[in-house]
Formats: sequence, structure tokens, C-alpha cells
Amino acid sequence: MIYFDHAATSFPKPPEVVSGVCNCLQTCAGNAGRGAYQSSMQASELLYDCRVLAAQAFGADTPEEVVFTAGATAAINQAIRGSVQKGDHVLISDLEHNAVFRPVWKLAKEGIISYTVFPTFAANPGATAESVLEGIRRRIRPNTKLLVCTHASNICSAVLPAKEIGALCRRHRIRFVLDAAQSAGHLPVDLKEFSANAVCVPGHKGLGGPQGVGLLILEKNTVLEPLLQGGSGVGSLSPQMPADPPERYEVGTLPLPAIAGLREGLKLLGGRSFAKIRLHERLLWESLAGELKTIPGVQIAAPHISGSVLSFWAEDAGSEAIAAALDERGFCVRAGFHCAALAHRTLGTPKGGAVRVSFGAENTMEQTHLFATAVREILSRR
Amino acid sequence: MPIQTSGGMCLLSIGAVTPAMRAREVLLRGGIPATVVRNDPAATGSGCAYAVSYPCGQERLARRLLRGAGIRARGGGRV
Repeated sequence: MIYFDHAATSFPKPPEVVSGVCNCLQTCAGNAGRGAYQSSMQASELLYDCRVLAAQAFGADTPEEVVFTAGATAAINQAIRGSVQKGDHVLISDLEHNAVFRPVWKLAKEGIISYTVFPTFAANPGATAESVLEGIRRRIRPNTKLLVCTHASNICSAVLPAKEIGALCRRHRIRFVLDAAQSAGHLPVDLKEFSANAVCVPGHKGLGGPQGVGLLILEKNTVLEPLLQGGSGVGSLSPQMPADPPERYEVGTLPLPAIAGLREGLKLLGGRSFAKIRLHERLLWESLAGELKTIPGVQIAAPHISGSVLSFWAEDAGSEAIAAALDERGFCVRAGFHCAALAHRTLGTPKGGAVRVSFGAENTMEQTHLFATAVREILSRR
Repeated sequence: MPIQTSGGMCLLSIGAVTPAMRAREVLLRGGIPATVVRNDPAATGSGCAYAVSYPCGQERLARRLLRGAGIRARGGGRV
């Protein structure tokens, strides 16, 4: 099997992550943040360790700024729904995943907000950070209160200028929420450097952790309305959720084994060089793109941007059929529209969808060559 | 006022376990031996909470360190 679906979830998980999960399942007896008996306190220590590591990794000042969520989507929903009030205007980019688009669309449908999509010009080789910023500036209204955008696309290798967007938002007093689902673990992501109010991170993609846990890195002065209400282990006699993060946003029992695995993933992240990761991904991308471009009828989405994600389609062949044929040959790739209608529209994907290849640290140039050879053979039979 | 325990240790109520653990770290870094303990709900008035335990003689420094770290310490309670 050759795994090229890291944008969906990373595989294989590092042995340290697997051990972290298994050890926790075998030895963590207590519920974190509730009791004071030893094993409950050990569970709380585990959570705290993970928060400290995440705060260091993503530029937060304190572990209280690290909120555990069920995943990046849950973090995004909390950040969006917890930020807006009736009459607010929201900006999103034209590369958004449905994790951003659907909550915003629904809020608009409910008559609570209005929203505008700003262009990233991802399909345009001449796009610059300034052209993206100008597109945002033109769409800011007096009631614009929130800008939510992806840091890195899940369809192509476009990366938005998060630092510049954050600075622009700060100047206009607009809350800035960054979806780092595809960038965390691949690129530097820093809450402070990006002037972000919230950064939403999945545990199971670039961080190498298990599914079931994500992070909402929340700037210390940013207060959200909690999306969920319930037990938090503190202030139990009050009908209200606690005033302070992270417990304000964490209800019920947290997924301790998943967090134990994520903790190990974060430890490994500390020893990584983002420059090396980017170089590796670009070499793989360029190697694969170079071969795919020579196959008649194949088109690559945003072919001028190399990185961790490459999507392509072929004339007269549906993406699902190509992916199924690749699966028969041992390649794991995802076809269709990848929960990102806006992004596919921006990139001009045809109605048959696209085949997405997404790289991880374990992938090799030999694998990209085998993949391109398989695509050539599959398409030549049609 | 923090409550003095039988071992000459005092408690400051912090609230949730996360800020309580950071409070412990802040105190330890400041040279004050500290541990996280569960607070007496009767002392907090709002139910469950965690506290930090530290030697009573270092109350002034403990409060200063916590204030400097942005951690709110509320009234204490007996473990």
C-alpha cells in the first residue's frame, strides 16, 4: 500500500503516538479535571502537559489558551458561532473547506449574519499577498466583525498570507480565525505572529496524533460564547459555564487516550524542521506534477503552486473511477470534491471532481513515480 | 485570607485544574514548594474548585507571583 491521503488523516502514526494511546488506555484510571485522587490527578497532568506543548508549538502565552475540541471542525464551529452576533458581517476566502463554509452559510440562512467571499486568486499564477489583501480590503464593511480563512488549501498547495491578513484584521478590529487543518505540522503556525484570535488545529493530520481530538488555540483576550454547556469540573453550583478558558469551552469527559497520543505527536513536532518538510513536499510535488503533465488529458489544479497537496483530473475520466483503479493497484488517494465546493469552484474542477494526492514525511520520489506510471496506464486503457 | 492547614500549609483557591496547575508551576519557579489540591466546596461558595497548597510563611510572595502571572487566586479552603 502507498498512502497518499495525508490531507485527510496522516498514516502511519508514529510508534510514540501509538504507545501513548495504548499506555493511556491501559493505565489512565481517572477522569481529568474532576477528582483529586492520584490517578485523576495523573490524568490532569497529562492534559496539562499536552496543553503546554501545544501552547509552545502554536505561539500561545499560556496553557489556558489551549482548548481541546473533538477536532478542527469542532474548533472552527466554536470559534465562528461563539464570535458572531445578529447583524454581523463575515468574510471567508474562496478556498474554504465546508468546515468553515457550512457554519457561515447556515448562520446567514438563519438571518443572523451576512457573509462575503474574498478571492485568493489561487488559480492565477500572478497572485500576490497584496492582491489577496486588496481583495479583502474592498469587501470590508462597517459591520464586518469576523474573518475566517484557511491557512493552506486542502485541494491545492496554496498558502494564504496569514500574517498579513491577521495584521489587516487587527487594523480594522476584525476578529481573525485561522483554519490550520492543512498547515499545522507542515508550516509554522503562530497565533501571535499571525495576530490571530483563534487558530483551529486537527490532532490527526500534520501532528500525527489519533482521530478524536483537535485544538482551539485561543488568544487570551478573546472571549467566545460557549457552543456547548455541561459539566466542566469547576463551579458546579453555578448554572453557567466557567468564565475562564479552557474549561469554559470543554464540556464532559475529554478523550484522554487521544490526547495522550497527541501529546506524543507534539513532542515529535518540536524536533522537526519546517524547511526540510517543505522541501521534501515540494520535491515530491514537482516530481509527480512533472510526470502527470506529460499524460494526455491530465490537468493539475493550480499547477504553479507546489507543496503538500496535488489535485488533478483527466478529460473523459471521472475522479472516482481513477481513484478506484488506483486503489486496485494499492494507492490510497481521495477523489471527488473533498468537502470543499468553494475551493473546487475557484480552481475550475470539472463536474467529475478531482483526484487528490497529499504527501507525508514517509512518502518518496519512487512512490510518486509508481503513482504517475499507474495513472498513465489507467488512462491509456480508456 | 488563605486558610492555614495543620501542616503549616496554606491554600489559595484557583478554580479549574488548568490554571491551578499553572499556578503551581509559577510558584515552583519562584522557589515556593506548591501542590495542586482539591478545594473544599464550602469554602469556594460556587462548588468544585482546585487550589494550590504552599507554606503559609510565603503567602505574600505567592500572591505576588500569581498576580504577576495573571492568575486570579480566590479565598482559600481546607482540603
